[in-house]
Amino acid sequence: MLNYLEILDRANTGPYMTEENWDLEKVAMTTKRLVKKYKLEWNPNEIVTDDPALSEAIWKAGYELAVTLGAYSRSTERLIHITQDEIDYGIRTAPQEVVMGEGKDARTLYARRLNDERAPLFFGGSPGTPIPERIFLANVMSYMQEPLIDLATCGTLVEVDGREVRTGNPIEIVSTRRELQYMRQGLKRVGRAGMGMLAAQSSVSELGDLAAAHPDYLRPCDSHLVPVLNELKMDHRNISRAVNSLEYGMVNASLPCVIVGGLGGGPAGSAVVNVASYLIANITCLADYHILHPIHVRHIATSTRDVLWVINATGQAFARHAPHIIVADIYPKSGAGTKKLLYETAANAIVNAVSGNHLEGVGAADGNAPNCSGLEARLMAEVALATHKMKMSLKDANTFVQQLLPKYEHVFTPDGNPGLPFDQVYDTVKIQPQDFWQKMYEEVKTELKEMGLSL
Amino acid sequence: MTDQEHFQAIADAVVDGDTDLATEATQAALDADVDPLQVLNGGLMSGAEEVGKRFERGEYFLPELMLAGRALKAAMEVVKPPLLEKYSEGEGKVKGKVVAATVQTDIHDIGKNIVASMMTAAGFEVTDMGVDVPIKSIIDKAEELGAQIISLSALLTTSMPFMKDLIDLLVARGIRQKYVILVGGASVTEDWAKAIGADGTARNAAEAVKLARSKMNA
Repeated sequence: MLNYLEILDRANTGPYMTEENWDLEKVAMTTKRLVKKYKLEWNPNEIVTDDPALSEAIWKAGYELAVTLGAYSRSTERLIHITQDEIDYGIRTAPQEVVMGEGKDARTLYARRLNDERAPLFFGGSPGTPIPERIFLANVMSYMQEPLIDLATCGTLVEVDGREVRTGNPIEIVSTRRELQYMRQGLKRVGRAGMGMLAAQSSVSELGDLAAAHPDYLRPCDSHLVPVLNELKMDHRNISRAVNSLEYGMVNASLPCVIVGGLGGGPAGSAVVNVASYLIANITCLADYHILHPIHVRHIATSTRDVLWVINATGQAFARHAPHIIVADIYPKSGAGTKKLLYETAANAIVNAVSGNHLEGVGAADGNAPNCSGLEARLMAEVALATHKMKMSLKDANTFVQQLLPKYEHVFTPDGNPGLPFDQVYDTVKIQPQDFWQKMYEEVKTELKEMGLSL
Repeated sequence: MTDQEHFQAIADAVVDGDTDLATEATQAALDADVDPLQVLNGGLMSGAEEVGKRFERGEYFLPELMLAGRALKAAMEVVKPPLLEKYSEGEGKVKGKVVAATVQTDIHDIGKNIVASMMTAAGFEVTDMGVDVPIKSIIDKAEELGAQIISLSALLTTSMPFMKDLIDLLVARGIRQKYVILVGGASVTEDWAKAIGADGTARNAAEAVKLARSKMNA
């Protein structure tokens, strides 16, 4: 088995290559060639595809990309060679079940298949969103208290005790530990102390992760992120995160944020890069599960047509051919206090529920502002569960999404649709939605029911 | 070939991101005594403009942008000597020297790469220092190259404070007025840019180029 020492050896001894050549001549050119070889195309009117041949072609192209390229170490500017046997081993041994949390609150994440009888699980929180300390606890509790939420995540503390947080600075240790103190406190207060977490979101460098690997903060039954850099790259800092948690026994979640319109080109190439990223992350990130978070090159959000297509294509490629545990981040353009956020959330929820993914969210307003609340996470879970219970076909899912898209697509402008901060859409003492926000939610739910969703 | 045909050949090569063809077509135009300033504006810049438009329309993606930037950079090396010889002052000069970097502790490079490619395509001489670059190194490089613009990127909110540190350090060294400081990143707002004493920010790469142009003409 390939262990992390071997990965480090390869990163320290592989052939040199400039990063620009890796980006252009390896990633971009090879992906372009594979898109052509496998005749991959996307159709903006078929966001959810029902085409086993296309899914198989995307899977094969992603596999070939991973086998052809391996990975790149940005720290040493060297290639990390990975053999086909090692990729195959990673696929064979990818965890099919991972228990997160403890006691009565424990949940088992599992590798979903297409038309899986088991329902998807839900992580509640606005992952990575900058949140002021004064509203942090109330904000995370707004998600934790939602009965349908299975696992907790959170935003990033941007200041601690009135002091600005800086990455790599000693204050990163303080902010990461403070974040986890609030998370644990929040879980206790909602009566779900054993709920598993994907946290230490305030740890941007490895510093916070190292500081949080302690049962008072992140428990072994929790998880943290190990990013794959764009595209198919690692660095020593991120390998450090994986290595740190290995001995501690904590769950690793890989995070490749493939840029749709980036080095992989359009949606088809981006799906290929996303598939390859997971196959690489099985090895370089020691990943127990994978976060699905493609980012639009101009609009960021996961609710554009092309990014939704990539989510669908990547999810289906694994669900049909080699089930891995995949958790999709939902990052709409719109923020809390707007109906558009709810439409975007519903579209994401439907696509993910039928594509073999679990769900995490909602990173409202592109995760750029504290304009997020537990209410949209409630809708995310309700819509995904309704989709699952109805045994919605891929074709019907596409019809639903096509009806939702015109309700929000006009928000993809530089100004976006940021909505309102958490403390303007929730009563932060009672931790309940303000009346106007609750009313919007109910109106959108009624619309979704009228569209045929069994909510 | 007419001048127009030369311009078209150069522009097409840039649009195709073909470095060899772009340098060959540029050399061919110069060999045919086409004015170097016209080669620059009618050929190279025209191609670059088309690349930018295609990117904004979602027809081109990052690789095409980077390849076009590469082709343009190579062709600029061909046209620069005769250009400077004929127009040592004024129009023939490059639009400005830019030092671009993602600031220390932040390893995100896509936004910075797009802005750097678009600025190169717009005729700026861009030195891209990469990601996670210490602020002192950025200032040293700008001093060494005699840059006019320092273009800083940060995606992470917890890396953004280093942009302010850089400006503070320039002030402390008494060289703040030598530079136009442009800042960018997903969480960077106009208010924030103003608050830290930067000269501006833009919501996307196309606006960043416009801003850089306007600052150099100001």
